[in-house]
Amino acid sequence: MIEVKGLFKSFDDFPVLDGLDLHVKKGAVYGLVGPNGAGKSTLIRHLAGIYRQDRGEVLIDGRPVYDDPTVKTRVAYIPDEIFFFNQATVQDMMKFYRDLYLSFSEERFARLAPAFDLDPKRLMRKLSKGQQKQAAFWLLMSICPDVVLLDEPVDGLDPVMRRQIWSLLLQDVAERGTTVLVSSHNLRELEDVCDHVGILHKGKLLLERSLSELQDNIVKIQLAYPEERELPEGLELLHRSDSGRVLQLILRGSAEELNKRLAATNPLFLDVVPLSLEEIFIYELGGVDHEVKDILF
Amino acid sequence: MNYRDSRPIYEQVKEGFRQLILTGALAVDEKMPSVRELAASLAINPNTIQRAYRELEAEGYICSVPGRGSFVMERSSPAAARKAELLEKLWEIGRELRVLGTSEDEMLQTLRGGESHD
Repeated sequence: MIEVKGLFKSFDDFPVLDGLDLHVKKGAVYGLVGPNGAGKSTLIRHLAGIYRQDRGEVLIDGRPVYDDPTVKTRVAYIPDEIFFFNQATVQDMMKFYRDLYLSFSEERFARLAPAFDLDPKRLMRKLSKGQQKQAAFWLLMSICPDVVLLDEPVDGLDPVMRRQIWSLLLQDVAERGTTVLVSSHNLRELEDVCDHVGILHKGKLLLERSLSELQDNIVKIQLAYPEERELPEGLELLHRSDSGRVLQLILRGSAEELNKRLAATNPLFLDVVPLSLEEIFIYELGGVDHEVKDILF
Repeated sequence: MNYRDSRPIYEQVKEGFRQLILTGALAVDEKMPSVRELAASLAINPNTIQRAYRELEAEGYICSVPGRGSFVMERSSPAAARKAELLEKLWEIGRELRVLGTSEDEMLQTLRGGESHD
């Protein structure tokens, strides 16, 4: 569905995207995460056809996004800062998008109204930041797009509204196979809604996996031995911290298999805990100079 | 769903349904909620729910009928699987207790519901 090959983009000689590859399948909810300044927003603007790449390919359904207007009619994008005309009401923006997108459904716009509790007669600029975001989602979902691009979408939304919006979006995913790409720092939330995750670091995609693959392949183990002893050979250790006799290990591998192997070494206790996406993010990036630095004052 | 639970979401969904089925809250032949309904009501990814359903099906708790949805199966085989699982947990607890110097008699007494802390 979305395919990016060897994407390069620099601004004033500063390379922001540095040979990036990305693959998003149809009907996937793809979470894009990465440290500040990794290039997330720049990548999304390429996918929306706003930026033209220096080199590489940006394709949606095999067509180049920047050059092909027919692709753009199927893509809807909510940027980190909402755009609207200065004197426009929500209703005016609805008319603007209705004329822009052939797939816009006024009927759906009306049907979605109770979900948002916004007065369409109000000026966009008089709405709060969170309400503007709500209005943007209202319009986006009325477009009935095939591809939804969201840049930090839930910023400024209250928890109830976040849930409301995800509930609506995920219904579309289940029903119509809508493809969603979402960048966020809220990993807890991504964990619920995404099935694929890509970690962006310094303009490159560090890793791209299905969430279940990520969660099944990296585990946190706590164990303790009565006396000091070596761990079995051939463990793929990502992180180790000792506090007294208790070892905390972050290992690559399946929980079941590691549990068996380590149980055979007769530890005093052994506890295998799955990792949260937040922890995976930290340990995966930990190897690439992004460790949380211990600065003590 | 429990946001403080560190287990992956599909496991939480699976476990939740398993409880409902084993306790009879979801009766045999009852229709399971559709993937779309669940995705909307829990605000979680439909593929996650599908994975939970697939595993529940593989373990014999539910069966899916193409085009009609998933239904709760009769409980004879899942009960056996659950039994094996619980026994394994019991074995793990036993191992830890042994390390702590608990005698087998003591453990048996506890299992029978007798006084354990004397």
